[in-house]
Amino acid sequence: MSLLDVKDLQTHLSSGDRTVKAVDGVSFSIKRGETFCLVGESGSGKSICALSIIQLLPAGIASHPSGSVKFQWHKVSGNTSSEDQSTSDDKATEPFEVGDHSSVAEVDLLTLKDESLRKIRGASIAMIFQEPMTSLNPVFSIGDQIVEALQLHHPELSDEECKAQAVEALEQVQIKSAAARFNDYPHQLSGGQRQRVMIAMALACKPDLLIADEPTTALDVTVQAEILDLMRDLQSKKGMAILFITHDFGVVAQMAHQVGVMQSGKIVEQGTTKTVLSNPQHAYTQQLLAAVPENLAKSVTETAGFDESAKSVIEAKDLNVWFPIRTGLFRRVTDHIKAVDGVDLSIRQGSIMALVGESGCGKTTLGRAILQLEKPTSGSVKLGEQELTGLTANELRPIRPRIQIAFQDPQSSLNPRLQIVTTLTEPMKAHGIGEDRDDRIERAVKVLEQVQLSEDYLWRYPHEFSGGQRQRIGLARALITNPEFIVCDEITSALDVSVQAEVLQLLLEIRQQRDLTLLFITHNIAVVEYLSDETVVMKAGKIVEQGATAQVCGNPQNSYTQKLLNAVPRLNLS
Amino acid sequence: MTKQPRRSASYSKRILSSAFSGWGARIGLAWVVILAFVACFSPLLANSMPLMVSEGGQVSMPILRYLSAEDLMLMVLFIAVLLLWKMPLKFSTKAAIAASSALIALLVGLAILSPPKTIIYDQFREKATAGNYEWQVLPPIPYSPSDYSRDFGDNSLKAPMVTQKQFHLMGTDSTGSDVASRMVHASRVALSIGFIATGISMIIGIIIGGQMGYFAGRFDMIGMRIVEVFEAIPVLFLLLAFVAFFGRSVYILMIIIGVTGWSGYARYIRAEFLKLRKQDYVQAAIASGLPLRSILFRHMLPNGIAPVLVVASFGVAAAILTEATLSFLGLGPVEAPSWGSMLNEAVKSSVFNWWMAVFPGGAIFLTVFSYNLMGEALRDAVDPQLSRKAGVVS
Repeated sequence: MSLLDVKDLQTHLSSGDRTVKAVDGVSFSIKRGETFCLVGESGSGKSICALSIIQLLPAGIASHPSGSVKFQWHKVSGNTSSEDQSTSDDKATEPFEVGDHSSVAEVDLLTLKDESLRKIRGASIAMIFQEPMTSLNPVFSIGDQIVEALQLHHPELSDEECKAQAVEALEQVQIKSAAARFNDYPHQLSGGQRQRVMIAMALACKPDLLIADEPTTALDVTVQAEILDLMRDLQSKKGMAILFITHDFGVVAQMAHQVGVMQSGKIVEQGTTKTVLSNPQHAYTQQLLAAVPENLAKSVTETAGFDESAKSVIEAKDLNVWFPIRTGLFRRVTDHIKAVDGVDLSIRQGSIMALVGESGCGKTTLGRAILQLEKPTSGSVKLGEQELTGLTANELRPIRPRIQIAFQDPQSSLNPRLQIVTTLTEPMKAHGIGEDRDDRIERAVKVLEQVQLSEDYLWRYPHEFSGGQRQRIGLARALITNPEFIVCDEITSALDVSVQAEVLQLLLEIRQQRDLTLLFITHNIAVVEYLSDETVVMKAGKIVEQGATAQVCGNPQNSYTQKLLNAVPRLNLS
Repeated sequence: MTKQPRRSASYSKRILSSAFSGWGARIGLAWVVILAFVACFSPLLANSMPLMVSEGGQVSMPILRYLSAEDLMLMVLFIAVLLLWKMPLKFSTKAAIAASSALIALLVGLAILSPPKTIIYDQFREKATAGNYEWQVLPPIPYSPSDYSRDFGDNSLKAPMVTQKQFHLMGTDSTGSDVASRMVHASRVALSIGFIATGISMIIGIIIGGQMGYFAGRFDMIGMRIVEVFEAIPVLFLLLAFVAFFGRSVYILMIIIGVTGWSGYARYIRAEFLKLRKQDYVQAAIASGLPLRSILFRHMLPNGIAPVLVVASFGVAAAILTEATLSFLGLGPVEAPSWGSMLNEAVKSSVFNWWMAVFPGGAIFLTVFSYNLMGEALRDAVDPQLSRKAGVVS
């Protein structure tokens, strides 16, 4: 008998007179000790589905026209209220330990009263969220937060018992010296540690079902690998069921027993992980899997446009970007944060260099320092023969069009007040490219066509575009001044896989057409393997390994590179 | 190539339409538009001289001789804004057309209009009673604000009355002049002091705050100290001192309120610019090598101005209140009627003259209330988190 049985679940979200069918007839079931993965692109309704199950959607907005969410509720006896239809006690089929006095009731979470829901939430169904930075309350210590959850569901426990259990929970998630860290506040922990605390909090009450909504998306790959390991480990020990929501097929391959692929509120395909991943039936699943960078066909010949002997376009020597740490009454500089620390880099004409590293390793700062958007503390950056460091803003202005940048966040990379036409023609005007306005608009149209957007997009505002379209426009803006060198700062990391695949293919095409040199900053190893000619691995401001991509990824020498590569969740199940 | 298939709503348009979709902001806007109309056309609405007379078969408009260049400019400005309101033009072009037409009207007015310094209202009344006019068209309120000596006997401080002989909708004040007429003419002072004082503060605040935010560092530190110095100045007492030294001119009030009030705007703009400076599109503008002027005023200012406009709408209300306070204390501008000074008269004599309190007090209340309503709606529209909560109201 399955623990959670979702049948024909529909969730409608309404705002004003608009109604969105966020979840549209979803059915699946999860057994004890099993992991069910809901996978889909952004906006496919996977999070709403999870929130519907635990009934956390705002009541005024969400409604469920049909469907049922049946949950086997193991309660401690004595709490049984008459309103719940109790079913036969299937303790016999129960392979895992359940309290002696427990009884099981099958309840429909959609129709259950708030009172009973509160008892279920946290105690029987726990949830962990995506954003580790905001899901813990910053004004309570982590121990107190776990104790509070415990006391709520187990009022019979004394303070000491609660504390002991909380420490135990922290130990379970491998927080080192848990008893000592009991009184730490969330800001004293790293992102990965906070996510561990969230898991500890969710597990403290020994739930039967854990709902994990993209729990590792905000984390670095090495941390992600640890957390996934931990979750698998805890599951096998405690036998809880996990509803795991993700957009990453690599994570699905690692975690799931069963998988459901969601598209616009519907599950289009479900089955065991192996069958779905190796033999997808539905066109959408096939399309998604084909778009995963590992599976992208290298259409362009690998070394096209890349010549080992080509002269370097950008050359950085002993580049340092240090941010001062000021302390005391007089704000004296006591130390520096070395974001970029003695980097030597040479990017050859026509090549794509990938800059890989985990968050906070200084890769973005390095990219900006090369473009002189961040003032380097010392060292030199040369564009061809031209020295860039030490130039004033006015001296840099004529050089700017030759070196461009495209950004990560599609939300903030375009000025919301300006039509696309202004965004694209203004740099040309500032540098005297094109004779008059009409000529410049004509050039803008040509560049838009190159990024596969149509002409009438010129007259729209950024808010009318999707994330992928905005990234293309951002790319068009970088291309408009006909630069030699572009820094692409994580330009695909905010995009869905299928859109990411399109943008990557586009980049390769443009590189060929224009003989561009790219510095591609990313944390996604699969993208690196697909796209780049050379790879540079950064850690704590320093370059730890550097070389041709095939060599760095195929035969890593540095231990950090090896760790990084091992942590990447691979689609390959073997 | 330059054809524009469709123009979609810009960000500012969306903000404005969502701000003015609620009834609160619409009522506020309606009152301010009415007030602006009354202020611009006050000589035609309340005047002791007829608008049009027929004297011995000759039709003439005596009021035209007495219009000043300022009156002409305001009327032209109001009509221009009204005509341009729904025109499919860019906001900047509209503003330029309105401003230039007002300027031309002012220059033309200065060239051809020369209103006499003193006006003897009695000449019209004498002619009318003598039967010299075959017919005459009087303004809706047939009294000038400073027309004291009408031949109706004792007129001072009378409650509202509507009789054959005397037609005072809002009563008369201690000098015997018509309160309704004074109310109409005082709306000019109220509106202009709000707009001009706030305009001065905003311009100073944006220039100083913008540079503080963009350049940061040492410039920012010095700037903030100056801001703190200005925030420490008690405006009302400074105004009292200035009034004592330099006389009671409405222009001095505007300038002082404007020059001391910029620190709040500077703070807001500085905070916005500090935030915007690190935004990707500003970085992209820098990376594209755009000139500093364009980065500051095209890419940053329009994105950072919204909170300042919200503060400004409250600032207008505050400036009106300051002027009313000064006038109430008897230190307001002397040359023009003002709501505050009328309020003052309500409590001057031993009797409570209710009409002297209700009408000007109500006008001040409604005006300040309207600006606050609009400011509130703007703030909700600018801040999406607030607007979701406030969605219940509209």
